[in-house]
Amino acid sequence: MKRMNQTTMRRLISIGMLVILVVLFTILAGAGKGKFFNFDNLIEVVRDASIPAIIGVGVTFIIITAGIDLSTGSMMALVGMTMANIYAYTLLPFSVMILAGILVGLLCGFCNGVIVAKFNVPEFIGTLATMSIFRAMTYIIAIRDANGVIKSQPMNHSGYTWLGGGFGKFYFVIIAMIIIVAAGQIILKYTRYGTNLYSVGASKKAATLSGIDVAKTRLIAYVITGFTVAVGAVFTTARLQSATTAIGMDFEFNPIAAAVVGGVALSGGSGDVIGTLIGALFMATLENGVRKLSINTAYQYVIKGAIIIAVVIFDATYKARMDRKAREEGAKEGLE
Amino acid sequence: MAGNTLIEAKGIYKSFSGVPVLQDVHFEVKAGEVHALMGENGAGKSTLIKIITGVYTKDDGQIFWEGKPVEINSYQDCQKLGVACIYQELSVIPPLTVAQNVYLGREPRKGVFIDYAKMNQMTQELIDKYQFPLKPTTVVDNLGIGQRQLIEILKGLSQDSKLLIMDEPTASLSGKEAEMLFKIIQKLRSEGVSIIYISHRLEEVYMLSDRLTILRDGKNAAILEKQDIIPAKVIETMIGKVVDESAGSRKMLHSDDSAEVRLDVKNLTDKTDRYRNISFQVHRGEILGLGGLIGAGRTEVVRAIYGVDKAASGEVWLDGKKLDPSPKASILEGIGFVPEDRRNQGFIPLLSTIKNVALTNYDIVKISGTSISDADELAMAKRAIQAIDIRPADPNKQVGVMSGGNQQKVVLGKWLMRDLKLLIVDEPTAGIDVGAKDEIYQILENLAKQGVAVIVVTSDLQELLRVSHRIIVMRKGDIVKEFKNVEVTQSKVLSAGQGVEEEAE
Repeated sequence: MKRMNQTTMRRLISIGMLVILVVLFTILAGAGKGKFFNFDNLIEVVRDASIPAIIGVGVTFIIITAGIDLSTGSMMALVGMTMANIYAYTLLPFSVMILAGILVGLLCGFCNGVIVAKFNVPEFIGTLATMSIFRAMTYIIAIRDANGVIKSQPMNHSGYTWLGGGFGKFYFVIIAMIIIVAAGQIILKYTRYGTNLYSVGASKKAATLSGIDVAKTRLIAYVITGFTVAVGAVFTTARLQSATTAIGMDFEFNPIAAAVVGGVALSGGSGDVIGTLIGALFMATLENGVRKLSINTAYQYVIKGAIIIAVVIFDATYKARMDRKAREEGAKEGLE
Repeated sequence: MAGNTLIEAKGIYKSFSGVPVLQDVHFEVKAGEVHALMGENGAGKSTLIKIITGVYTKDDGQIFWEGKPVEINSYQDCQKLGVACIYQELSVIPPLTVAQNVYLGREPRKGVFIDYAKMNQMTQELIDKYQFPLKPTTVVDNLGIGQRQLIEILKGLSQDSKLLIMDEPTASLSGKEAEMLFKIIQKLRSEGVSIIYISHRLEEVYMLSDRLTILRDGKNAAILEKQDIIPAKVIETMIGKVVDESAGSRKMLHSDDSAEVRLDVKNLTDKTDRYRNISFQVHRGEILGLGGLIGAGRTEVVRAIYGVDKAASGEVWLDGKKLDPSPKASILEGIGFVPEDRRNQGFIPLLSTIKNVALTNYDIVKISGTSISDADELAMAKRAIQAIDIRPADPNKQVGVMSGGNQQKVVLGKWLMRDLKLLIVDEPTAGIDVGAKDEIYQILENLAKQGVAVIVVTSDLQELLRVSHRIIVMRKGDIVKEFKNVEVTQSKVLSAGQGVEEEAE
């Protein structure tokens, strides 16, 4: 019998987990209007999954190189607050405001990339530091009232309100997610850059020997993440119709969690953005279902954390076993 | 077949911090030949290869490629010339396919997208040409080590390499995989590709090579043509002792069987077949030498006895008591272990002698109040320093900055603080200067005199003969020979480890 490819197997497992969760909540929280399983609610789930999935594309690129980015939540806030300033204090058109937001995202990503890839600061500590810096900068440029107290800045431009919506229930954020995930998957699988990401993650030494510019590959992954964070920030503020300093607080966990659940190994070299999309849908389903069951939302975080730990333990033991088997069988096959 | 000279290195000199490693070495490979490079550990083989591949820069000498002088300053330089080094699975990327690996960084493209159809086809053509058992679209994750090596070879061939360097290519291959590799090597030779073949395994070298260069102590010892490659002669040349085996290379072993058995190992077998059915005993006051080639399974056996790794089956008995090996249990039972990889496993570089010595001995360090007695820790470190003359004699000195010999003394010192029954040392003097070596042998001999059973694993034949009272030799996971109360020579031990029959016993 032909043995199933490890990657395919892992994909089936994450799809299976998602299906089981949906079935579970349908049984527990019911189907029909106001319950869990109905079109309106499921679309809500997809909408909730969109932002972690969009940002997850960039974060997946980074994790494939065996890196990590902890600054995405703060970066989102900084991008949002930059746009709020332009909205509040200038008469610049709406499109310029968005472009400026994207530019700030790219710049933040570039900074992360330089710190991590050029100066070789360990990813964890480097992006932990920028997480703090980006958040602080958000407070510094926050919009204040006459008494100097930070206020939430409404952003109720008609174009912006439109962007927060969609074609009926087909929200623009979902469409953006589909486009970005598709583009991410194509880059990963069909371009040299994608191959380079996997190579760098699997073995920096081997990648270097093959003439791949490891630092550049990693740097670009951080810049791409900056872009996806900016897109996420645009849709978040559009949906909220305002910008606050609290945007993206504790958010950085979400894209990482989505990637991990979707089979992107933290040790690098494996996984893809389709997996991350499935992971994001899984986490959003979990949040939604727990809400529908009227369980205290604090438990949500316990469950999320526990799932991540379980998945990482599973992946480590599973991979070790599969690798050993594959080698043994591969060695045999090669001889026949 | 063999034609003009492809690469020639003339008068190569190289030294590291004043110690000469290569002196006036001449090395030459012709087009289309398999040229073996042999020598004992430390003879300078890998240094020479690293100079050819641009990893090290030579101090003096010249390299010619197809008759023209060349400068090789980086691995990229040597790749451009047409040299490919086959590392052991080092540079294949497991999540990618065979074709992706072969053309990594050089993928054919249509616009910005990789042209997979063309890439797979190009790979298939190469595979067909050299008849490799591979498919372009297989993910490397699913391949055995032997096949991964073939990918490396393909990668070299796809860049039109004229010279492949294979460093111990069969070290991690099964017998069948190795046979497949040998066929491919023959095929490559018939296609005009030159191969530098480095191996400890003599039988492979005899079978494959057209010529053989032997290095000894960083100098050319011999360049042999095919008809002159005779096992006994090669071993003699490698060791550098002529037929009459002068002093230092022969020894009368004396082992006292009547002494009480301390360690009794029964049928120890590994989970992954790196060793099997290993049984032997070590007596009170005996130093048992464990000889054999690197990769023969010696380190794995002693790690299993100490309990770092678990054996699949078999028993370990110490002083008539059956053990359930684990490092903690072993320490408490009186087993000491000095690992092969001193820097990573032997001691903690950032800590002082005091802490390094105390670390293994916290069960016997006194407690003052609720915490460990600093005074007792210090006293213990001082005892260790005095017992085996650790220099500098400053107990607060960080061990990481000491010389190799003194680092090893710290590792030994921490065991001397205990009431040892068995001490296992793995490559005890690797990278240690001659003076400190003698001191370490002295320590081992003193321990034996006190009744401790000692196991010495070493690849250094001189050392093996120098310290052992009895020698057992392992080869490919089995004990193949025991030398007990007989006269033994380096070449006898080496022949046993190589699997070469000694004719004139």
